[in-house]
Amino acid sequence: MMRDTRIRRLPVMLSALVALALAILPLPGAVDAFRPDFLVLVVFYWSIESPRAGGLALAFIAGLALDVIQGVVLGQHALALTLMAAWATHLRLRVRVFSVLSQSLTIFALLTGYQFILFWVDGATGNPVTNFSRWLAPLIGALVWPLMVGTLSRLHDR
Amino acid sequence: MVAFRNTDASGRPTGLLLRCVLYALVALGLIIVDKRYDQLGQIRRFLSIVAYPVQVAVASPFEGWDWFRNSVTTRDVLRADNARLEAELRVAQFRLQRYEALETETQRLRGLRSSTEGVASRFIIGDIMDVQLDAYRERVLVDKGARDGVFVGQAVLDAGGVFGQVARVGQLTSEVILLSDAAHAIPVQVNRNGLRTIAVGTGDTSRLKLPYLSTSADVVAGDLLVTSGLGGGFPAGYPVATVIDVKRDPAASLADVDARPAAALDRSRELLFVWSKPAPPAAAPTPTTPTTPATSAPTPAAPATAAAQPKPMPKPAPKPAPEQPSGANDE
Repeated sequence: MMRDTRIRRLPVMLSALVALALAILPLPGAVDAFRPDFLVLVVFYWSIESPRAGGLALAFIAGLALDVIQGVVLGQHALALTLMAAWATHLRLRVRVFSVLSQSLTIFALLTGYQFILFWVDGATGNPVTNFSRWLAPLIGALVWPLMVGTLSRLHDR
Repeated sequence: MVAFRNTDASGRPTGLLLRCVLYALVALGLIIVDKRYDQLGQIRRFLSIVAYPVQVAVASPFEGWDWFRNSVTTRDVLRADNARLEAELRVAQFRLQRYEALETETQRLRGLRSSTEGVASRFIIGDIMDVQLDAYRERVLVDKGARDGVFVGQAVLDAGGVFGQVARVGQLTSEVILLSDAAHAIPVQVNRNGLRTIAVGTGDTSRLKLPYLSTSADVVAGDLLVTSGLGGGFPAGYPVATVIDVKRDPAASLADVDARPAAALDRSRELLFVWSKPAPPAAAPTPTTPTTPATSAPTPAAPATAAAQPKPMPKPAPKPAPEQPSGANDE
């Protein structure tokens, strides 16, 4: 409690906004399927690195933003992202000392859980997604994760 | 928010599980309320206004580039464009002369048939915004919303034909679900012989499926499918797709029919939002039926639903049941 009394929220907000913009940036159709879930990765990063700066509130709000922008049933991404961010927060002391490969594997698991909750809510609310490209997202997210950490930690340290 | 500051000696937030469950319950509640009761329209509309600046910020570089490209076109190009457009306009006007006559004739015939097929009456044009919605669904965001009178279920066309329908309305923007979305279906008929069926999306912008045609159905590659106007969501007679492939498996009871959408689903930038009149009661020259039931509905959202149930215009109407018209006139 004595060492960082002031919590820096600006980098959190900034990175979340940029990630949101990247999430809705139009890309050509072929590349589009390979777009990582930037906002989700950013939320995981802050959940692991500095849970007090963002925390579950960040996850919930980011999830709501994704719900509104993607026009799905309200609360879907919020639910998935909150649960997985809580898991990431729970694991964070371990994840921080992991090697890059293990970190990526952890992120892969988190993203898979995230997609599964989305998949489940989609099915439960009666508009299932029928193609398989959704299950590609965790793999891409895990591959992008090291880059993400590199970029965000520079923002964080300054 | 106070709960955030509660950390124990090691900096581990206490009550992580509790807060997680709390947020998850709120999210689940939102899902259920949104799905079951449809009461969140106002909240969503408000949230969509909050999201609007981000969407505009992302779309603006692309629009800026378009504007730049348009403003530096040379004089020659403009002149050529002008000549071409004038020629097209002449042709269009020539066609329109015939169209007007046909339109009145259609109205008259429909009046005779007492059909309730919708007729498109008013359009506004919306631009597709350059933002990505859900990557796994076929949807686009358009810059017209509740402020412009757009409503859920409204038919959306482009220059080629039917594009889709409005799935969700924000204050300033609306989401249009494409014909080709896997969750979309549209009532159509084969233009050649009037065979009615339903075209459903496949998730591929260049293909629709007609899954409910029997193997003996009279449909061949090249047939034009137009909206049938049944169900009331879409005005009748607009091109939807062209049949490209019919596979008949003798062992199966249903044919496997593919069609290519008439609208440029993956290329259009401008869309037409259509308001359709439910039925032409005024055009029906049948003075013996004074009832013309339930064609009131002055609100813009109503025509789509009002036309949904085809009403058999009652023939023994000269002596109408007294309570029905009075109830209609009271409002």
